[in-house]
Amino acid sequence: MEIKAFLQEVTTRRGLPGDEGPVAQWVAERFSEYCDEVRVDAMHSVVGRIKGEGPRLAFVAHLDEVGLMVTNIEEDGSLRLGQVGGIDPRILPGMRLKVFGLETLPGIVGAKAPHLLSQEERSKAQTLGDMYVDLGLAPDKVKELVRVGDQVQLEQRFVDLKNGRVASKTLDDRCCVAILYRAMQLLEGLKHQADLYFIASSQEEVGGRGAMTSAFHTEPDMAMVLDVGFAHQPGCDREVTRNLDAPLNTVGPYLNPVLTKKLEDIAKQIKVSLQKEVAPRGTGTDTDEVSASRSGVPSVLIGVPVRNMHTAVEVLDLSALEEAARLVAHFAAAARTAWEEELWN
Amino acid sequence: MELRTLTDAFGPSGYENPVRALIRKAAEKRCDDVSVDRMGNLICRKPGRDRTKPAVAVAAHMDEIGFIITGYTDDGLLRFRPIGGIDPRVVVSKWLSIGEEGLPGVIGAPPIHLQSAEERGQVLGFNKLYIDIGAKDQKEAEGLAPLGSYAVFDTPYMEFGEGFVAAKALDDRIGCFNLLKLLEEEYDSDLICVFVTQEEVGLRGSQTAAFALEAEIAVVLEGTAANDLGDVEERFHVCTPGEGVCVSFMDRASIADRELFRAMLELAKAQGIPAQVKRGITGGNDAASFQRSGRGMRTVVLSVPCRYIHSANNVAKWSDIRAQADLARAFLKSL
Repeated sequence: MEIKAFLQEVTTRRGLPGDEGPVAQWVAERFSEYCDEVRVDAMHSVVGRIKGEGPRLAFVAHLDEVGLMVTNIEEDGSLRLGQVGGIDPRILPGMRLKVFGLETLPGIVGAKAPHLLSQEERSKAQTLGDMYVDLGLAPDKVKELVRVGDQVQLEQRFVDLKNGRVASKTLDDRCCVAILYRAMQLLEGLKHQADLYFIASSQEEVGGRGAMTSAFHTEPDMAMVLDVGFAHQPGCDREVTRNLDAPLNTVGPYLNPVLTKKLEDIAKQIKVSLQKEVAPRGTGTDTDEVSASRSGVPSVLIGVPVRNMHTAVEVLDLSALEEAARLVAHFAAAARTAWEEELWN
Repeated sequence: MELRTLTDAFGPSGYENPVRALIRKAAEKRCDDVSVDRMGNLICRKPGRDRTKPAVAVAAHMDEIGFIITGYTDDGLLRFRPIGGIDPRVVVSKWLSIGEEGLPGVIGAPPIHLQSAEERGQVLGFNKLYIDIGAKDQKEAEGLAPLGSYAVFDTPYMEFGEGFVAAKALDDRIGCFNLLKLLEEEYDSDLICVFVTQEEVGLRGSQTAAFALEAEIAVVLEGTAANDLGDVEERFHVCTPGEGVCVSFMDRASIADRELFRAMLELAKAQGIPAQVKRGITGGNDAASFQRSGRGMRTVVLSVPCRYIHSANNVAKWSDIRAQADLARAFLKSL
């Protein structure tokens, strides 16, 4: 499967934190096209393995998506929502959501119309508590089909923009799962020594929970985590944002400097241009859990920049994806047991 | 013509050409006298069987709310402003279609991670929102979407729930849809169907259309905000989807002719057509200009209750859409 088709398909799949079963199943099937073994673990993380003699090298990209949950059903049949992961409620009014009730139901997010707001209310952003979901059903029917705790997905549209850029929900972080899949394809033409684990982790959006247990289980000697970063856009400090069209590499205390140097050298060899990102403390990615698993796992962090992160219109550049995949494949092919000696000297 | 074809059509106020071409083609199959005035209004005259009866104009507006491109950023994003009354709150994280050719664009928002609590509490106004078409710099963006390009919400038509429809521009393509239906039949009175331009930017098309009409009565087919769900107190509910077409006694722009208002309600009752009185004086529509242009006309408004009216997803119920056509038709036959 071509990487864009993979991305288009994987972003439609259902997989809010704690409910990654459907997307995990689909990803496991794709991984098994190239992996020697694939399992979906107790936390719904997918672990694919391409065997090698050693060292054990894990690649981690998360599978879950930010979304919403039904917290209350009102007498008029409208639904109230809670957040699962960090969503800015300002993106919701007028959006078509998907409610995973006993049936999958489309619903529109409504809120008080501006002419019904006081001058003071009008100047403030509406909160999630001011909004509701309209299913177009009578209250009795709603109560029959929807239960408190049902999960709700953002609107899914995959849009082709100019210059190989695309917009969709959940590019964070399924674009990095797509990078892993593409890297597996590229590895078919490369030799590798390392025992490779490809982990599509669950529950990252609520705190690296899936990566924690998958890292424990696979016991990697070193790891590469892949997650999205921030691209330049208005309203953001340019100190922390980067260009859309090239992959990212993060440095800082949670990342191993020697392994990062190896990554940089490989990038230079295969002519992948990397943009540096700095994380002075936690990275806010699965790295934070993976790097401290068991007795510690030396880690590097790469990614691709996206605009509008955690909205239904995240934007990325497909060329950055392809470049990142090349880097992953060559890093996997280059990894040697001897590296471990160098890491702490 | 299917409602879907009409709601999918491109036609923001001032650039109604694509939707007008579509309606014109359908109207010409049903009517021999179709013309366009110099504001772009499409006027279809259908002579009645009894020339002693008063002529009746029935109107619906073709234009839809939308956006216009006003500038660019160095990164190739488009600056824009609304055409018509759009609350900036409903445009964040939505999909647009730019120009007749339908260049896709998205309106993003800064990531929540990089926003302070104070920033998150603010409304993202049009001065903080941008359209992303994938252009790499200002020059490319300008080439793809020159200043003054029009855009509309890109929302595929969808039926959902129990008999509901969600689409862009139900306000007022529903009226256009029903107006085309009215043109299919013969009446005693002369019928003048007017598909109006520029309603959303100040009731401008109807002003010139009304000037040249020889009708004595104008019936306006509209959509009206329902405000019936969520935190709106019941006393502020304007109407209820599913309870029929709305008949207005007054809105912010005009007062209905009392006789016509009563006649509509009585007719609905007598013929078993679901109807409700609009319980508020919100909104305003082309009835104002029909009433007060030229020699003036007696006017009445028949509206379909519509949720989220100036957003990407207008929501209306099919039973109300049918009731609007039924009541307008019954009225024309009753004259």
